[in-house]
Amino acid sequence: MMKLAIATLTSLALTTSLVQAQQVYTGGDDLPTNPLACDGTPGTATPMDYDGGTPTNAPDRAGQTLTVVDVPKLVGIGYFAATTQGIMEAAAELNMNATTDGPTRANIDDQITLIDNYITSGVDGILFAANDPVAIAPVLRRALEAGINVVGYDANSEPDARQWFVNQAEFNGIGKAMIDQLAAEIGEDGAFAIVTSTFTTPNQARWISEMAAYQAECYPNMRWLETVEAQEDNILSFNQANTLINKYGDELDGIAGMTSVATPAAADAVTQAGQCGNIAVVGLATPNAMRPYIEADCVKSAVLWNPIDLGYAAAYVLRAAADGTLNPGDTSVEAGRLGELQVINGSEVLLGAPFVFTADNIADFDF
Amino acid sequence: MTAEAQTLGRREQSWFGRLFAGYGQEIIILGAILLLFVVVWSINPRFISPNNLNTIFSGNAYIAVAAIGMSMVIITGNIDVSVGALIGVLATIAGTIAVSGYPVWVAWTAPILIGIAVNFLVGVLVAYARIPSIVVTLGMLSILRGGLISVTGGAWISNLPPEFLLAQQRPLGIPAPIYFMVGLTILAAFWMRYSAFGRSIYAVGGNPEAARAAGIPIERRIVQVFMIHGAFAGLATILFATQLQVIQSTVPPNLELTVITASVIGGVSILGGSGTVIGSTLAAILFAAIGSALIFVGISAYWLRAVIGLLILATVLADMARRRQAK
Repeated sequence: MMKLAIATLTSLALTTSLVQAQQVYTGGDDLPTNPLACDGTPGTATPMDYDGGTPTNAPDRAGQTLTVVDVPKLVGIGYFAATTQGIMEAAAELNMNATTDGPTRANIDDQITLIDNYITSGVDGILFAANDPVAIAPVLRRALEAGINVVGYDANSEPDARQWFVNQAEFNGIGKAMIDQLAAEIGEDGAFAIVTSTFTTPNQARWISEMAAYQAECYPNMRWLETVEAQEDNILSFNQANTLINKYGDELDGIAGMTSVATPAAADAVTQAGQCGNIAVVGLATPNAMRPYIEADCVKSAVLWNPIDLGYAAAYVLRAAADGTLNPGDTSVEAGRLGELQVINGSEVLLGAPFVFTADNIADFDF
Repeated sequence: MTAEAQTLGRREQSWFGRLFAGYGQEIIILGAILLLFVVVWSINPRFISPNNLNTIFSGNAYIAVAAIGMSMVIITGNIDVSVGALIGVLATIAGTIAVSGYPVWVAWTAPILIGIAVNFLVGVLVAYARIPSIVVTLGMLSILRGGLISVTGGAWISNLPPEFLLAQQRPLGIPAPIYFMVGLTILAAFWMRYSAFGRSIYAVGGNPEAARAAGIPIERRIVQVFMIHGAFAGLATILFATQLQVIQSTVPPNLELTVITASVIGGVSILGGSGTVIGSTLAAILFAAIGSALIFVGISAYWLRAVIGLLILATVLADMARRRQAK
């Protein structure tokens, strides 16, 4: 019976490999893509009506000192320490007294209690990163009813429960950043393979689709060799990256990792295979995950967004909403050193292009 | 088959036949591995390049090592669904010790000792409190997994000292995990086949009443087997935690199931009483070889899950057929 199973497998292997030889399965989804322009022109935002909420009888806060509380998903981790750093930086520029107070675990109930207390104690503005988009909505609506300005960042709530949400990255922005980074390291005619979590993970499948669309448009001579799955499994990611290196040999110029698990594992595979400098590794990963490989100069970069900028932008958006300089229907907002940020999807503010962590800046981040 | 026929059958076997007696499943898996190698090699010769052989044989070594202990537990008629979470916790402990400046041998020994201690507790609950092992280990699974996330907060351990990274060593050009897998498998196989203690494990799972009548202390034996299993989980942890330069606070999803699957496909009867660790190690190698082969011939990895599912069904059906025949 076992032999039968193996025989079936191998005959299937033979036939499907012939069929598949012609086309590469990228692992993307079937949804329509919206690749950005090759030269970095910002994408055109589809006009959409404002779907955020409005504070009830908010006093005129223009020019006043604002008391603002920031409630992240949790405190005590590097990522939200970085968003706090950005909020404080902006607060100093904007005449705001900002404090960060979040739950010690990423717990929605603790977060609701905290926000409730701050509504009672009376603040001018609330910044939040929601642990649950639906569960947090009622308490945020109460804040709006109390005349408090409410702006989210990092993790959204239901749109009508807050005024604005600062969106750290759109799928097409990530797709462009990944392919641009690959092209910079392996050349515009390089060959690369992808290590992803699973073909059905929504975010990864979306990013891959946008990468494929952008690559076809802007770097038609790059070759997409293969996409392999590695679950969220570090050892499997390492094995899959090794197998790609063994299979393609000199043909392989770069590996792109789609998760914070896959990217460092691929970097380790390249390191242990002695291929640093021959095979580039790019990927979505946090600086802490990639630090050993970037410091060893085996990997040049990691792509993600900058949480300091995210906090900074959120504070600017809150100030603009309180001052009445950012109103429903506006298409952009001024955000200090970040310049003009684009309004997308009705009531979201796009942080901008993803951030590339390199040996020059990675020491500034701890998350 | 009557007892007489059995003795007759045995007498007819050559020394060669006796050497392989009782290794039916193992030989089938070995054949499957060889067949797979030949087929994929004929499609893409790079499949059997030394580098790829190293990748295949070392890739699932930690699973094979964990499956040695798991096989013993299953042979006693029990199961452990918490081993994946245990390996995750032990890896974090080993990594924390390694970056705290202790000598590396402390970081390597700690997971083994703690693995033994945790599974001593599990064994006592199973053997003396008589709680079914699936219930005890499900509870342990939640405790370990929840505890790991609460304590680490999802943070990763990096800056591991280079000498800690045992699995990256390559004595004679062969990855260290392969030595561990092969050495431990052979040791355990001999011990289980030829020592009195090893034989008694089969008796506990195969026929507890007879084992008790023969004077085997069943409760104590179950606790001991769980402790040995804990030691192998610790050894597997060393391979798992030292393969990469970063230790993550997450465990590979379904690791415990992969380990159990290796045991079961390797011929360890899920009902207890029979099977060998050679089979479970060969099964772990087979998974790695199938995974690699799918990439080399360019088939979606979805087939891996389908194929492994098929293998489980085939193995369990074969096991049940053998049992029916034996009756």
